[in-house]
Amino acid sequence: MSDTTMTRPKAKRGFGFYARIYRKILVQDLKSKMSYRADFVISTFGMIMTNLSGFVTFLILFKNFPTINGWDYYHMLFLYGFSLVALTPVQCFFDNNWNLRFQVQSGDFIKYCFRPINVFFYFMSEVFDVKGLGQLAFGIGTLVYAWVHIGIPVTPLVIAKLVLFLLTASLFMIAIMNAAAATCFWIVGSGYVMVIMFRFKDFAKYPSSIFHGIFRILFTFVIPIAFVAYYPSLAILESNNVPVLTWCAPALGVLFFYLSYKFWMLGVSRYDFTGS
Amino acid sequence: MNMRRHLALTRAGIMESLQYRLGTAVTLFANLIYLVLVYFLWRAIYDSAGTEVVNGMTFTDTMIYLILATALFNFLEMFVVWDMSRSIQSGKIILDLLKPMNFRTYTFWSYSGSHVVLFTLTFVPTFIVVMIVTHGAIPMGINLLFFIIATVLALIVNFSMEMIVATICLFTESTWGINIVKETIVLLLSGASIPLAFFPELFRKIVEYLPFRAVYDIPLTILLKKNGTDTLEGLLPMFGLQLAWCVILTVAGILFWNHSVRKITVNGG
Amino acid sequence: MENAIVMKNVCKDFKILNRHEGLKGSIRDLFSRDYKTISAVKDVSLEIARGEIIGYLGPNGAGKSTTIKMMTGVLEPTSGDIMVNGLVPYKERTKNSEHIGVVFGQRSQLWWSLPLIESFRLLRDIYMVPKKDYEEMLELYRSLVDIEPILHKPVRQMSLGQRTLSDILAAFLHNPAIVFLDEPTIGLDVAMKAKIRSLIQGLNAEKNTTVILTTHDMGDVDALCKRIVIIDEGKKIYDNDIEHLKSYFGSYRTLRIRHADDTWEERVIDESKEDVMEVILKKQKEQKIKDIQLQEISTEEVIKKIYENSAASKEAAAGLHVAPAADGETASEKKEGATV
Repeated sequence: MSDTTMTRPKAKRGFGFYARIYRKILVQDLKSKMSYRADFVISTFGMIMTNLSGFVTFLILFKNFPTINGWDYYHMLFLYGFSLVALTPVQCFFDNNWNLRFQVQSGDFIKYCFRPINVFFYFMSEVFDVKGLGQLAFGIGTLVYAWVHIGIPVTPLVIAKLVLFLLTASLFMIAIMNAAAATCFWIVGSGYVMVIMFRFKDFAKYPSSIFHGIFRILFTFVIPIAFVAYYPSLAILESNNVPVLTWCAPALGVLFFYLSYKFWMLGVSRYDFTGS
Repeated sequence: MNMRRHLALTRAGIMESLQYRLGTAVTLFANLIYLVLVYFLWRAIYDSAGTEVVNGMTFTDTMIYLILATALFNFLEMFVVWDMSRSIQSGKIILDLLKPMNFRTYTFWSYSGSHVVLFTLTFVPTFIVVMIVTHGAIPMGINLLFFIIATVLALIVNFSMEMIVATICLFTESTWGINIVKETIVLLLSGASIPLAFFPELFRKIVEYLPFRAVYDIPLTILLKKNGTDTLEGLLPMFGLQLAWCVILTVAGILFWNHSVRKITVNGG
Repeated sequence: MENAIVMKNVCKDFKILNRHEGLKGSIRDLFSRDYKTISAVKDVSLEIARGEIIGYLGPNGAGKSTTIKMMTGVLEPTSGDIMVNGLVPYKERTKNSEHIGVVFGQRSQLWWSLPLIESFRLLRDIYMVPKKDYEEMLELYRSLVDIEPILHKPVRQMSLGQRTLSDILAAFLHNPAIVFLDEPTIGLDVAMKAKIRSLIQGLNAEKNTTVILTTHDMGDVDALCKRIVIIDEGKKIYDNDIEHLKSYFGSYRTLRIRHADDTWEERVIDESKEDVMEVILKKQKEQKIKDIQLQEISTEEVIKKIYENSAASKEAAAGLHVAPAADGETASEKKEGATV
């Protein structure tokens, strides 16, 4: 190692390093987004419309059917709000997954492989989606409204549990979308997988006790939509009778996220970059 | 007649869709799982209701309606808005406008190929499966022919709506926002997520006259012979509504497009 | 460690599906398992010394990009060894990328909506460049090109030339040992090309950076490269000095004749077979000639001839089948436009 560039001392790129880089990219990105106000207004409007329409669907359903599988209006509303909040991280921080297949197909994806940082991180850090915040507000509103009507006590312990299980729920949703997006490394024209997986999330807001037999296992352990709202929210709703799966959820969430990350990275390493 | 030129585009579209062979298989599979979800949800809903018939719809009716609506949705899904915004951003739109064929006609026929493939690969299998599972709950007769006609009209209405929304993209870069608004409104008001029969009275009255219904609700109502569509008196208003919206939206779309293109070219956008 | 890059008998194969033609073929492809193997790179060995600027040439689809992707660690070779800066790139991609810079085609690697200076700052953090080195590099940039007008401009608002310039600057920012430039001047105007060439030259001279340049523009090669490597159909068919290359075709001249109606006729003449004067005399008997120019064969013509030769001698193992001409003139003595 005679060259000076080779001997430059390098600090380790740890969690602190990545957090710092992400923060800097985020700040810059927000700054530049401010200059596209029309886009922001229209996107926010779109987000509000989606949420309103989801809510209207929900209301119409409950006008016709007062309970679903023993769940009444406010409990269902709680699940609904819970799922909306749990979806925020995947929408805010992992939205670039939607661009993955275009970049892979056109060969532009190769640019993420030339930097001395984690490819997954680099790719995801490029997009922070502000629109997700509108949904967060909507979700919190719904959650609080249902919370008050059900009459769940507000204690520091309950709040801590809520935060923990919301984060857990988010991990499952992120894992589902990562895995769905990564299919494009193997399958040309797999865009539809993402679209349908994203539509699956609409079913997260129903109690997973509606599923039977093999499909219950499928939607719990293979495509874990039962974990996006149902199991985590039981920690708050059924605090006297929490099922085992709820307690396992945080660990399982980390595991699913890790597996989806590995799958995503496997896709990167298998990909031929023949797009160019 | 330059029908041959149009059919050449259809053929090219079919071949392109088939290139994605694994993608096609996965699409089919994902759809199946989605339908399973829909089934369990409504099974639970009807079980909780305690009655067999809600708002004139039995569980079987609702399932057939929703499954076929999903299949229709997949078959009718177009990405005109996205394609448009991408070709505007890359400047390819200029080339599209210079093509010897009218842009609108060209887009329509380019999509026809994937429509044919998707109809055969998603709608027909779904239809057959539903037919077998429900033991003939779908009436088989002249209504199939009417359904096909209604679907073609629905396709035109859907395409016209897509084109109008895509034209808006000439003015703003916010494709995501525009597209999500369109998708949300169409999905809710067309009855694709909840059958229109479940809507509250007043709301339903309004929605029945809007164009969105012409896309999913009318073809399915005709297929299932609901709302008196088994008689000519019941059928004609449905086709009338579809045709009216076809004409209105096509004319409006063409006018809006021509006006916008002129404006954009003048401004040198 | 003398060499920046060492490749030994490197091969890369791709497996692709055999597609059939027509509508029937498309349907058959849905179920077909009929794959074929394509060798993109065949047994390529190469040594590149520190500080060299190498022109890496070849027709479209010859395997240039694949080679570069292997050198950068993005692709793993099917067989053979690659060492880049003493590392095996695909095994230590992250570590390897600390010491390389890449400009790939017309694809910008900068943050699309950020002003250039912000991209620079992010890269400084990502590569952990010490503040002093970073400032020095910016100073060097200022001395080589006028960067002020683009420094505060978002990349998405830049012209293609400004974007390429920015990408090149970004690739050198962390003072890498090797920089890969894939067609950096494609689509640029003459002034911008010149600017970019002198920038690359300046950075190479100042930092002793090894530069691997792929291009179809012989102007780039003439301006920058001492040594060129040519690859065709995955095989290395030439690896030597650019002067040496011209001497292969030293006996070739381009003769340009202006007819009475002011049109120019151009033909390449092999002086070992034909006499230039005889050709001119013959022409003159046929028609009136207003003007004559005799030019040294251009690099472009030479490369074209090599590609043609390579295509003509596919069955032969490798190498050039052109007898080296006697040491006549060298490329440096360009007789451009020397009117007879």
